[in-house]
Amino acid sequence: MHLPDTVTLLQAAISGLLIGGLFALAALGLSLVVGVVRIVNLMHGELVLLGAYAAWGLVQATGLNPLLLAPLAALAVALLGWPIERYVLQPVARHGEEAPLLTTFALSVIVQNLLVFALGADTRAMDSGPLARRLSLGSVSVPWVYLAGFAIALLVCLAVHWLIARSAFGRRIRAAAENPLDAAVVGVPVRRLYATTFMLAAGVAGLGGALLGMVFAFTPASGVEYLLTGFTVVVLGGLGSVIGTLVGGLALGLVESFAAAFLGDGYRLFAGLVAFLVFLALRPQGLFGRRT
Amino acid sequence: MSGSGARPGQGGAARGALIALLAAVVLLALVPYLFGTYWQQLGFRALQLATLAIAWNLLAGYTGQVSLGTGAFVGLGAYAFALLGNHSAAPLPVLLLAGGAVPAVFAVLVSPGLFRLRGLYFTIGSLALAEALRILMVNLSVFGGASGIVLRAATPPFYALYWLALPVMVLALALVLVLLHSPVSLSLRAVRDDEDVARQMGVRSFRVKLGAFALTAFITGVAGALQSLKLGAIEPYGAFGMSWTIDTVAIVIIGGIATRGGPLLGTLLYVALGESLRGLPELHNAIAALVLLIVIRVAPQGLWGLLLRRPWRRATAAEASDA
Repeated sequence: MHLPDTVTLLQAAISGLLIGGLFALAALGLSLVVGVVRIVNLMHGELVLLGAYAAWGLVQATGLNPLLLAPLAALAVALLGWPIERYVLQPVARHGEEAPLLTTFALSVIVQNLLVFALGADTRAMDSGPLARRLSLGSVSVPWVYLAGFAIALLVCLAVHWLIARSAFGRRIRAAAENPLDAAVVGVPVRRLYATTFMLAAGVAGLGGALLGMVFAFTPASGVEYLLTGFTVVVLGGLGSVIGTLVGGLALGLVESFAAAFLGDGYRLFAGLVAFLVFLALRPQGLFGRRT
Repeated sequence: MSGSGARPGQGGAARGALIALLAAVVLLALVPYLFGTYWQQLGFRALQLATLAIAWNLLAGYTGQVSLGTGAFVGLGAYAFALLGNHSAAPLPVLLLAGGAVPAVFAVLVSPGLFRLRGLYFTIGSLALAEALRILMVNLSVFGGASGIVLRAATPPFYALYWLALPVMVLALALVLVLLHSPVSLSLRAVRDDEDVARQMGVRSFRVKLGAFALTAFITGVAGALQSLKLGAIEPYGAFGMSWTIDTVAIVIIGGIATRGGPLLGTLLYVALGESLRGLPELHNAIAALVLLIVIRVAPQGLWGLLLRRPWRRATAAEASDA
């Protein structure tokens, strides 16, 4: 352990916050699925990862900048999400809460191994082109891709917040999250709503993955890392609160960034997991959330 | 629930099952005389996986704590075995016991935090804990970092490994069966079915969970120590790897969770599946997971549960749900 100087700390704080925005975006779908569909989705990491691979594949095919292709990658993952919820997860929901959990576990293993089978276990990274240049602010500097990713993440999080808090679709989502039976009684099509929510969650996860893939390299095994990052954000931010998720993401970004600055880059994820476990044990309802 | 054992008319069946089990153990002990190294190696893997499955079934099936941390206990057992073996002259049984004791102590140490998490949160917590431990072992140079440790002792031949794995599995099975036929079994299931009610009825749920967790960690760790001995060298990615967890969960669910025969039946099927997919190593896990997916959907009680439901058994609904 070495003590970094002020500039390094400031640098870590700024890039940590910017990366944290991406963490929040990648975790938002998990919060939605756990909070609304009530499935602890162990394949969430693979949805994020598929977003990264979809963007990577599109870059290989078109040669365009990954930032332009990220929406397409998100759409692809969203379209995959709907049938997964409707035809794979919904039918096992009646077997109790562990059956969907283990089903998502099996799905994550399948996706991970199919990725190895189809594309190999190599580490992949995306070149963000002109966005890789750095913006200098005095003694600290950040790559443009961090800023662009953060801006998109913030916009999408706010859009989802608006969707849930203000729109008719969001009113149904909130009703179903509160009590699915009562919601069904007053005419909310709960099953269709679950599939749509899962699709939305998958799409946002895919977008998060495409953006994260521009910042960090990834392999077919990165899913579990994204999954645990997602859970950390959700637990820090509290379940079912979009703004909480955003704050949780920023907090995790800071924790990981400072851990990397103080202990070395290998401890980035470790610090996040320790924060997660400590927080989970001390305050399971999160910073903002209510106890569920 | 056929577990109380004292029910009239069941003593004969229980004795028959016991004799069949003993006969099976004797036959299994003869395997190295009758078959070559291929079967000894396969047998070792099957016994090791069965041991893991028996342990996980106790925790997840009978105590209701679905852990995804099997890899952590395997890894701790493997490292404890390797480190103690390299730095002391302790005999093999002591090393194997140490391989179980270290993860058991670890389980006890983390339980105050982990058991605050109920149900599915426990599952996520166990996964995060296992992942954190793996990353720590990759980064800690004291324990060899990413490249791991080479054992000083020579790797024994396959028949010797097989003869070590057999008593480990049999003892694990016996221990769990005895536990399930004791009054403790009722406490375990009470905690599983409704922890709050169990506490109101005077079950000390924390102790019950802790006991099951520590015993599972112990058995899992011994299986991990065997892996260390077999490989002669260990590294964190393999020893703490997710594939231990995937194998164990798939075996128990396919065989039948919370059933006595499930882990053994599941192991047989899983190992047979693995052998038939030897030509497709990349797809092995994907296909195993697909089978898992299908079994959860069509036979949530696993294949052992399906067997018990056959008309010739005429099991009652209660028996079939908790056999």
